[in-house]
Amino acid sequence: MRTILIIIGLTLFCYIGMAKAEEPRAGFVKNVSGQAFIERNNVTMPANVNDRLIEKDTLLTGRNGSMGIILQDNSVMSIGSDTRLVISKFLFEPSDAKLSFTAQVKKGTVVYLTGLIAKLNRRGVRFETPTTVCGVRGTHFAIKVTDPSGDVKTLLPKIMQ
Amino acid sequence: MMRHNLFPRLCKIIVLFAFPTLLLFGCASTTQIILLPDADSKVGVIEVSTDKGAQTLNQAWQATESASMDKTPGEPKILEKEEVRRAFREALVAEPAPPVSFIMYFKTDSSVLSTESLALLTKVLDVFHARKATDIIISGHTDAVGSVDYNRSLSLRRAKTVADILVARGIDRQIIQMTYHGKGNPLIPSSDGVPEPRNRRVEITVR
Repeated sequence: MRTILIIIGLTLFCYIGMAKAEEPRAGFVKNVSGQAFIERNNVTMPANVNDRLIEKDTLLTGRNGSMGIILQDNSVMSIGSDTRLVISKFLFEPSDAKLSFTAQVKKGTVVYLTGLIAKLNRRGVRFETPTTVCGVRGTHFAIKVTDPSGDVKTLLPKIMQ
Repeated sequence: MMRHNLFPRLCKIIVLFAFPTLLLFGCASTTQIILLPDADSKVGVIEVSTDKGAQTLNQAWQATESASMDKTPGEPKILEKEEVRRAFREALVAEPAPPVSFIMYFKTDSSVLSTESLALLTKVLDVFHARKATDIIISGHTDAVGSVDYNRSLSLRRAKTVADILVARGIDRQIIQMTYHGKGNPLIPSSDGVPEPRNRRVEITVR
């Protein structure tokens, strides 16, 4: 009885492991410079060339950081320093007509060049910032989000000490 | 002693009063969106909206700004090229070159490469080295003549042929992602049983 339970347990464990490993890839890191990080499930790790990116990942850079990524639909995106961007939605399954990409730019600078999602779905690509929603029909653009409140918050604890 | 402690305390009081004021007047996040020409000097279209209205950008270096979801985004303006390049220098330097794709065609029911295709593979390798590529995606396809099972294995054979040649020419097999689609994802949609030479192909993407 116990062995059966162990086997069932192990099998379930394997399936869960597989499900995690099969989480569809949204893209990968093509280049990094300075302080650049990926935040996933509230864990922040340094970004490295070739790191896999998935939906819900946050891209982060520090004062001297920058990062370039390639997404699965062949679109390319890069961020400058002091930037925070969330890949909030990424669906690229052309055979099932699932084509959509949404990014949230919280602060910083971003440059994006559209790929197949924008080509195949006119309403597929969307960039959201605290004060706008951008519907991107193509092709190449830049976004800058200035966020003075963020600076005040980081400044405050230092003054209070 | 008393005098000594007074200064930090005073600072704290000032900060406590100043902070809400800063929040009221200083926290407005603003967004600037600029449409850039792409590598072929073509220009796309972006619709910038808030809850109150929208602006359309459709010219190179055209920009709009928005300070709140409760206001229409600003009237679009054409910016100086150099000004934009300076403001986005870091991101523009980090911008990866877009992936390059190649298509290789095959004869009916064959996984043998033609002489032209072999020459094209040399070009694939040139691009691979020039852009310091990190991976290659190879996908095999067939037309809609023949059974589903047969076409799946034919498309796999086609993809393998291309992968093997690239490996023989020095590409690490680890960085090749191979997929096969049978008659799925055709370049030219066609009915079952209809021969379509443009669908008998392998697509190679160098990233």
